[in-house]
Amino acid sequence: MKARVGTYVLLGLYAVVSLYPFAWMLSGAFKTNRDVFADASLVPDSPTLDTFGRTWTELDFPSYFLNSLVVTGATVLGVLVVYSLAAYAFGVLHFPGRKVIYGGFISLLFVPGITVLLPVVILQQELGILGTHLGIVLPFVNGTAPLSILLLTNAFRSVPAELRESARCDGAGELRTFLSIYLPVSKPALITIALLTAVPTWNEYVLSRVSLNDPSTYTLPLGLQSLTAMTSPEYNVIMAASLIIVLPVIVLFVFLQRYFVNGLVGAVKG
Amino acid sequence: MAGVVPVDSPPRRPARRRYRLRESLTGYAFILPATVLFAVMGVYTVGYGLLLSFARWNGFTPNWIWVGFDNYLDLLYRDDALAPLVHDAALNTLLVMIGVPVLAIVVGLPIALALNRIRVLRSTLRTVYFLPFVTTGIAVFYAWTYVLQPQGSLNAVLGAVGLGSLQQPQGFLGNPSTALPTLIAVMAWSSIPIAILLYLAALQSLDPAILDAAKVDGAGGLRTVTSVVWPLLAPTTAAVVLLNVRDALQGFQIFLIMTNGGPGGTTNVLGLQAYKWAFFSDLRPTLGLASAMGWLLFVLAVVLAAVNLRMLRSRT
Repeated sequence: MKARVGTYVLLGLYAVVSLYPFAWMLSGAFKTNRDVFADASLVPDSPTLDTFGRTWTELDFPSYFLNSLVVTGATVLGVLVVYSLAAYAFGVLHFPGRKVIYGGFISLLFVPGITVLLPVVILQQELGILGTHLGIVLPFVNGTAPLSILLLTNAFRSVPAELRESARCDGAGELRTFLSIYLPVSKPALITIALLTAVPTWNEYVLSRVSLNDPSTYTLPLGLQSLTAMTSPEYNVIMAASLIIVLPVIVLFVFLQRYFVNGLVGAVKG
Repeated sequence: MAGVVPVDSPPRRPARRRYRLRESLTGYAFILPATVLFAVMGVYTVGYGLLLSFARWNGFTPNWIWVGFDNYLDLLYRDDALAPLVHDAALNTLLVMIGVPVLAIVVGLPIALALNRIRVLRSTLRTVYFLPFVTTGIAVFYAWTYVLQPQGSLNAVLGAVGLGSLQQPQGFLGNPSTALPTLIAVMAWSSIPIAILLYLAALQSLDPAILDAAKVDGAGGLRTVTSVVWPLLAPTTAAVVLLNVRDALQGFQIFLIMTNGGPGGTTNVLGLQAYKWAFFSDLRPTLGLASAMGWLLFVLAVVLAAVNLRMLRSRT
């Protein structure tokens, strides 16, 4: 019994540590400019919605939010289309050079982001897409290649071969088989990939920062960063903006966490 | 594949061969979009970066000056201004590479063991523990920055619970001796969830008979963990170390956002230094240096991954 209590105390303490900055993010977002440091309590003495209202309306956050949705949506769509096709070929079809090409994609996993960051920006410039959303979506899509191909190839490989045989006997071509049998059967894997792509893209900062110049193209992380460039950063506004970024991710995670968990465990085992 | 079909095959064979050919062509068509993107965004940029690491360039002049291995040698030891900078950043990176995985294991394993023993609240707690990982990014880093300010909540809380001696009047990020340990702790906070998740998954797949046998042999709780569970979890530990070492080598976002290398360069890491040389060069010809730094990090990542895998194989 004593051990039981100890276990729960330990777990409770770590839950506090896990939630600590989120609690203060929430607290700061409901404080006034003056109270954000002056009022040291977690529950604000005089809570206000003004900070939120001001952050949302005065600071272009609707536009940042929309840009983030566009960039994240386009990246997820691109990843699902491009890599489910490729994974079907790698997992189901036979063709010369399959293993070598597959290995080439997986080896990308070892190239640190910083190693290609500068060449990517130079390439964007040469292609005339520097500063556009397309310019960051393309490298984002390519960046997920190793993980997406790995997980989706495994998923397609685990589909029973009889399904494909019987589809072929019914006269279905490869594309038909892929679209009407393999994709629906592999829905959990596709949702996992969508989530594992969406969340890091939503939070991405470094490449966006060096690619996007025009504030009208800014995504949420850049909008947030631009708040701190002021001479005296207003932490209540920064916390409200942070909350706007974090909330959709938390909602997505809470409702779809089994897809996250399966995907991450699968990725490490693979 | 087509080569193995004999020339004088029976009449059925050509149809089969045609099917094979068609399957191959379909395969190539299916991987075409991925391969084109990979060729442009992956192979081209990697090649470009490799060439640039052998050149001197400021990003604006039309021509590169080829310097061979000079960038690498200057970074490693030759240049009196650059090498000390790199050495300091390398030491900080090393501390991160050791500190974050150690914290992830030291905190992650006990939490996973505790989580594995309870039924009530297990899935709720797992969700809570996982939030730092899924939300990791600029927003959370600013939340920590707010908490760690001189008048921030951490100082206030420490004062309130009677640990005033641990307070940092300059803020945890403003004091040169606490800035790096603080950032390591925040990085660990973001990565402990993955350690918990992997350890929990491994613990749940352990054969209960082994643990029962240890109990019958009279091994206590701690004894069971150190001499039975820990060795069985070695592959998981290796995975946790590998993931964290890779992140420590490559990730510099938290340093960029929370301290930008300060105060006084005490939190400068190799990735951040490369980033500054690449994008804040102020017309100095440091782009080649940035590339060379990136490649040194790449080589280091591959070597460490290989060592880690080898250690894992030799132990199992």
